[in-house]
Amino acid sequence: MTAAFAPLDETITIDQLVNDPYPIYRRMRAETPVLRVKSVGRTFLTKAADCRMVKDNPLLFSSDDPNTPMKPAFQAHTLMRKDGEEHMRERMAMMPSLLPKTIQTNWAELYRQIATDYVARLPRGETIDLYEELCGPVAARILAHILGIPNATDEEMQRWSQVLIEGAGNFGWKPEPFEASDKANAEMNAHFETMIDHHKANPNMSAFSVMLNAENPIPMSQIYANIKIAIGGGINEPRDALATIVYGLLTKPEQLAEVKRQGNWSAAFEEGVRWVAPIQVSSRLVTEDTEIRGFVIPKGDTVMTIQASANRDEELFEDGENFNVFRDKNPHQAFGSGPHHCAGTHVARRTLGQIMLPMLFDRFPDMELPDPSAVIWKGFGFRGPVNLPVKLN
Amino acid sequence: MTRVIFIEPDGTRTEIDARDGDSIMQTAVSNSVGSIVGDCGGAMACATCHCYVDEAWADKTGQRSPGEGDMLECAAAEMRPTSRLSCQVKVRPELDGLVIHLPSEQM
Repeated sequence: MTAAFAPLDETITIDQLVNDPYPIYRRMRAETPVLRVKSVGRTFLTKAADCRMVKDNPLLFSSDDPNTPMKPAFQAHTLMRKDGEEHMRERMAMMPSLLPKTIQTNWAELYRQIATDYVARLPRGETIDLYEELCGPVAARILAHILGIPNATDEEMQRWSQVLIEGAGNFGWKPEPFEASDKANAEMNAHFETMIDHHKANPNMSAFSVMLNAENPIPMSQIYANIKIAIGGGINEPRDALATIVYGLLTKPEQLAEVKRQGNWSAAFEEGVRWVAPIQVSSRLVTEDTEIRGFVIPKGDTVMTIQASANRDEELFEDGENFNVFRDKNPHQAFGSGPHHCAGTHVARRTLGQIMLPMLFDRFPDMELPDPSAVIWKGFGFRGPVNLPVKLN
Repeated sequence: MTRVIFIEPDGTRTEIDARDGDSIMQTAVSNSVGSIVGDCGGAMACATCHCYVDEAWADKTGQRSPGEGDMLECAAAEMRPTSRLSCQVKVRPELDGLVIHLPSEQM
């Protein structure tokens, strides 16, 4: 019997995925784990094993998509769209600034200070939108320091991040998102240039400085591209992760009580990013004819690993649709897998899991989410709450 | 089956019947041994599968892979001459009785 192509779905809409993809993914895992989705133009892979397999095999499933809107959006061929040695070289160039020991010796105290300041600004006793007031700004501030652009304002960092992401996701190739990202690139380039002399004169462990002062630096175009990738990847994601985790804890008070008792904020962090992965999907270009679960996947196809779904795979997670901090094991793929595994993982785990979460609940131990149904969840490529109205008790 | 013995910083010993062909990282993760995370699945991209091969076994386990040293410098716990990324060490019958020391932290 000749192998066939994967089944084709012509009914699922992007709107449905943006609103709530999870029931759709659940059905796919059970019925059609390999499914061509017409509206998105991708072959969806919803099982954990398949997502890992694809990401662990860059030769067959390449990140170097010649048709990616990421190139015009970032005005560069970034490391996210490279494989092999060139990818590794650009990744390693900024790695030193993101390591556990660098975070510990260079950034931990600063984070504590920033987190303390930002949490201290929140008005006790009132109801505010935590997403707007804390989650976004603190992510922006911390990242500005790690990257070595501390003079960039929270507003600039968040705007640049959003605009870059929207440009990178502009699969409809409309002009407006690229006009916006062109403007942001101009602003970022101008800003970066103002910092070069400072970092050369005062070497430090920020990403910009580490890359500029390397013995064998990567090209300036790639230094800039790396910083922009970090801006794109290092603000919305920790922002969304923090909002998701706080939502999870406030809607499961017994779990919150136990987390407090154990001081196990790290487990709460892992469960939050598992439950609603801030980056939900990742594409790969198929370089040779291959097969997945017996279906022909032709060269030139674009598969989409749905880590949001992998994170709820029934084969790995019991009751995966629900938030449960105290699972036995949590082998999620929120940070991906393989060579492109998130380079900011340690930063995210330390800043949110070890610093921000305990600090927030220490300052507002009886924080409440008066109306969970008022929280709006959105996103297909990136997902999280877009608001989080909490009472700061 | 090849025996691999994991020793945690506090001295706890765990003996595992490992599968030939699996990496030490896979062996640890699938048996929930210690703190080995293996976040990136074995791609030498995360340095959360750091281990110290017992000196008596260092020769038999062989040399580090190209690039492994760079990633070991990224590890959370101190790097030693016996440091390996456990995703790069494959279980083989010749390693029966292999002793692996686990570091105090991975992240």
